[in-house]
Amino acid sequence: MLRTEEMLLNVGPQHPSTHGVLRLIVKIDGEMIVDAEPVIGYLHRGTEKLAEDLNYTQIIPYTDRMDYLSAMTNNYAIVHATEQLMGLEIPERAEYLRVIVMELNRIASHLVWMGTYLLDVGAMSPFLYAFRDREEILNLFNELCGARITYNYMRVGGVKWDAPPGWIEKVGTFVEYMKKQMRDYHALITGNEIFISRTKGVGVYSKELAIQYGLSGANLRVTGIDWDLRKKQPYSIYSRFEFDVPTGKTGDLYDKYLCRMNEVVESLKIIEQAVNQFPEGGSIMGKVPRVLRVPEGEIYVGIESPRGELGCHIVSKGKDKPWRLKFRRPSFYNLQILPVLLKGENISNLVAILGGIDIVLGEVDC
Amino acid sequence: MVLGLVKGLGITLKNMTKPRVTYRYPDEPLKMPDRFRGIQYLDPEKCIVCNQCARICPTDCIQLTGKKNPDPEKKGKVLDTFDINFEICILCDLCTEVCPTEAIVMTNNYELAVYSRDELFKDIRWLHENNQNIRSENSTNLIKKPGGKTT
Repeated sequence: MLRTEEMLLNVGPQHPSTHGVLRLIVKIDGEMIVDAEPVIGYLHRGTEKLAEDLNYTQIIPYTDRMDYLSAMTNNYAIVHATEQLMGLEIPERAEYLRVIVMELNRIASHLVWMGTYLLDVGAMSPFLYAFRDREEILNLFNELCGARITYNYMRVGGVKWDAPPGWIEKVGTFVEYMKKQMRDYHALITGNEIFISRTKGVGVYSKELAIQYGLSGANLRVTGIDWDLRKKQPYSIYSRFEFDVPTGKTGDLYDKYLCRMNEVVESLKIIEQAVNQFPEGGSIMGKVPRVLRVPEGEIYVGIESPRGELGCHIVSKGKDKPWRLKFRRPSFYNLQILPVLLKGENISNLVAILGGIDIVLGEVDC
Repeated sequence: MVLGLVKGLGITLKNMTKPRVTYRYPDEPLKMPDRFRGIQYLDPEKCIVCNQCARICPTDCIQLTGKKNPDPEKKGKVLDTFDINFEICILCDLCTEVCPTEAIVMTNNYELAVYSRDELFKDIRWLHENNQNIRSENSTNLIKKPGGKTT
């Protein structure tokens, strides 16, 4: 009788497939994963604590650095919460600009996910195509707000920059271009036999489990639950646009891929409508007092970031700084299900399942 | 069985004839749009030592001091020292946003790597000499003038 024993395998924190600085302690029996424990905190910067000593405008650049793949939605979470607490009115033009940039950012984020995920499961070229198209979005952002990743674009009461001349038309052109690209992506990936055999039937979980673990975003919708905060608790001007919420059927990784690809299509729909309805003139900044003093009170707002429900909880004591600020970061909550999913899986599926969750470590550790 | 792979290869072939999307940087300079945030330019003449940039800075990287105007007939202060600790500057653009006189503005210069940490300490002279590619459009007065239209 051959003596066998379990082995501890350390994955990360510096590992290309952990999408940042996530460390996993994996207990394996041969090639089977017996137990997996994520170790997080390598990118912790204490944003929430730092924010207690910053005024509301100063917090915005810090939120850029949480979910650095979709900084626009982070910007929006903090300014939206502050505006709600102050009861501010936002000019139309600013709202439209916000929606356009948030949806563009959602597409950019999903493109990064798609590219890196395909890289994780062993395909090289989709990554290059995805980054080529993401570059178009980043160039648009660069023109609009002068940065490619850390935008610092939104302000309490509006946005920092108006669209430069011709920018809205450029967005319209991009939407048309991206629609064509989606066909290419489906031809390139969706029918690929290797990709299908790596992802179909892998990493399945039930609706109940997803709800128990507080999953949100595509990770929740893939199980068939129709839950999108843009529809369920409409914020900004999302109620004006027509779009569907793509859901999955089986809840496997292949479904997650399709779900996110369809979300890109829905985002394109929203941008198209927003570009068509874009108001001619108007202010981009509402009536905001010179020093932002937020009235005493508490508020929680949740918005739909590319990864799920991004919540912002502000406790204000009437000062120009929050007394306590808490972010509900979707990646952090979505990551909690990982040990459950990995148990009993083959080690080769580890990266595929981890990648499918779509975490951003800047957001997990905050 | 291999139909999907062949279909995917079709996309590869289709892209082979398309023009290149990469840039020849650094062999050829890469132009950034006007709003791009590089490193600040400072005009000490315009500065009125109001300290707003130092106060709004989220990382506290700006230090400045003023002195009495040497011209006895003029009131107010003039700038004495102005330092940006570029090690911790996050280029958030808030300092240029609050400046009432556009004394501190952004430039498009993005090649900011240096050989030692000391060189990242940018003083008044360095910032004044950094006068190339200054951003033409500035969003000043955005915070100060509520409801004000920006150009």
